[in-house]
Amino acid sequence: MTKLWAIIKREYLQRVRSRMFVVWTILGPLMMVLFTIVPAFIFQIKAGEATRLAILDQSGRMYERVRASILREHSNEAASGSAAAVDALNQNARERVQKAGELIAANYQIEQVSPVGSSLEETKRMLGERVSRNQLDGYIIIPQDILLSGEAEYYGRNVGDVITREQLEESISRAVTEERMVAANIDPARVREMSEPVRMNTIKISESGEEKDSGGLFYLVFLVGFLIYLTLIMYGQVILAAVVEEKETRIAEVLFSSVSSFTLMMGKLIGVSLVALTQYAVWALAFVAFALYGVNVLAERGLDVALPQIPPLLVLYFFLFFLLGYFIYATIYALVGSMVTTTQEGGQLSLPVMFMLVIGFYLAFPVLRSPNSSFAFWVSMIPFFSPITMMVRIVAQTPPFWQIALSFLIGCCTVMLLIWLAARIYRIGMLMYGKRATIPEVLRWLRQA
Amino acid sequence: MRLSNVTKRFDEFTAVDDLSLEVRPGRVFGLIGPNGAGKTTTIRMIVNITAPDFGRIELSGHPISRELQDRIGYLPEERGLYKKMKVGDQLRFFGELKGFAGRRADEAIDRWLKRLGLTEWKQKKATELSKGMQQKIQFISAVLHDPDLLILDEPFSGLDPVNVELLKEIVLELKATGKTIIFSTHQMQLAEEICEDICLLNRSKKVLSGDLREVRRSFRRNLIALRVEDGDGVLEDRSLLAKIERRGDDLEALLADGVDAQDLLKRLVSKGARVTKFELVEPSLHDIFIEKVSEKQ
Repeated sequence: MTKLWAIIKREYLQRVRSRMFVVWTILGPLMMVLFTIVPAFIFQIKAGEATRLAILDQSGRMYERVRASILREHSNEAASGSAAAVDALNQNARERVQKAGELIAANYQIEQVSPVGSSLEETKRMLGERVSRNQLDGYIIIPQDILLSGEAEYYGRNVGDVITREQLEESISRAVTEERMVAANIDPARVREMSEPVRMNTIKISESGEEKDSGGLFYLVFLVGFLIYLTLIMYGQVILAAVVEEKETRIAEVLFSSVSSFTLMMGKLIGVSLVALTQYAVWALAFVAFALYGVNVLAERGLDVALPQIPPLLVLYFFLFFLLGYFIYATIYALVGSMVTTTQEGGQLSLPVMFMLVIGFYLAFPVLRSPNSSFAFWVSMIPFFSPITMMVRIVAQTPPFWQIALSFLIGCCTVMLLIWLAARIYRIGMLMYGKRATIPEVLRWLRQA
Repeated sequence: MRLSNVTKRFDEFTAVDDLSLEVRPGRVFGLIGPNGAGKTTTIRMIVNITAPDFGRIELSGHPISRELQDRIGYLPEERGLYKKMKVGDQLRFFGELKGFAGRRADEAIDRWLKRLGLTEWKQKKATELSKGMQQKIQFISAVLHDPDLLILDEPFSGLDPVNVELLKEIVLELKATGKTIIFSTHQMQLAEEICEDICLLNRSKKVLSGDLREVRRSFRRNLIALRVEDGDGVLEDRSLLAKIERRGDDLEALLADGVDAQDLLKRLVSKGARVTKFELVEPSLHDIFIEKVSEKQ
């Protein structure tokens, strides 16, 4: 036990004291802040002048409505800008582009042009010249039959500007839609009122009665999966390197004259894991501080954001299954490390490991739909998937306690078995040849001694 | 320390074949043999890294075990240090692995560093040390916890003569305090200087073993170092001398079969030769090694 402790201590202190660890631990939350603040900040930059547009209205009745539509949108959005900034932090990429567009307080200068000469071509040539002389940024042609065809044309110098293009398209279609309604004697304002969407409040029925459930807990499952994934990306290679270290530095033989390879493997795994947990603890504290600060700031501005309430038992499960999942995959890295002689050799082998984890993610969906099926049961007993699938079941429809315990126990046994296996391969491999082991060799070693 | 009928196989290959030997306490025991003879495998079984397939290994009457492992200090041939760890921390770690920690460990570390002239390197990382210094640190890690049995595999390779002398001195000091030392090397001259008992392994088997002096005596090969003037005819007589070679100022003569050294001396004197040197040479360990190993091939 004291020897195990000595190994854990060494692995832990060596890494925690390293400059890289300190830098990353401090930089981590800083990056998190930068990633959220910098984009929001950039989107608010007003770059350049207002966009100057000319509209040629061939229908003769759309100009005012289109102009109003284009200008209105931006004055409206500007008011709710700060609230939108908060939302923008948590959107996916596509939504983010849209939000970004709204946040850009772009303004437009719009003028109407009347046709020059007899043909459309002449007018277009004139407008084109103005664009190239930089008197205009672009022009829109609204054809006579726009209400029927639903097509307009935008000529511009910078058509690659997706945001402007999308805004204009939206504004024109809104104007056209409204005009169509007016033509059909429908009041657009009434339509807006009547199109209010329905909000569904979800209530979970469980043994303890009915509870309001916004579905937010489900994200907890993905957080488990994501954290396992993230930790492995950051620390998988570290574990691999830790296991290979004594081979590369040729200390293995000295160590084995003092400790068993199982103790060594165990010590390494625990030591490195504690490093990861230390880093997470620092980050979690930073995050909580940041979140509390953020909520306070928002509250001062009159925006009430409720921090999610999570039952303590769920937090415990979350923690246990995260640890389990992490250790299951971490031991695979240790196993790989025990077979190879250099870190580089082991690097390529991490892909299949990640693949297993991704399968676990996908299995979450069928399990979520029928959490009590026998499929869900078996899948939540398989150690490589159980950290995610069992969490899904716990959140969706908590299974009997014995199932949770069994799943956890199977996972723990798998971890021990894998460590034992890794220790054995490591020791025999070192004694035998000092070269990289092939799978048949490994199998043969396992059969003997 | 006793090995009885120890055999170890790897797949089809027999690394150690039916080896029995006894290492007497307070003696320096030399385990010698060519590359691949099974020395390292034997040592690994003694330090309990690997278990023999057959036979028994006992240390002071008990079969080797995890607890007894702590009483052994081992400096393997394949050795290294943690590159980025400070010297003091490394030694403390290696001590802890042997269950040797706390104040006494710190004191022992300081004492040994001082003895080997490395005190000012205690706070330096291993990468900053020269190869020789690293080797001395590794030596300390083997002796730090005051083991009863010390196993040194090629401890002097790569050291300069001053440091070889220093380590040799320390090994002899340890022996004087009653430690048992197993010493494995290719350098026969060093083995000859330090070892009292030897065991020669070749091709997984024990070729010879015992007290070094007795071994050498039993190997007397009728080799004579001569310094002589006149009496030339005698030296040319092939019925007396099988071979004669000039070696520096001396002649080295190998007696023909059945000829006694005494007869040669008599003949020389009777022929009026002036003998200024006449010495029966015991074969060196080097000679024995070469003879025994090449004989088998």
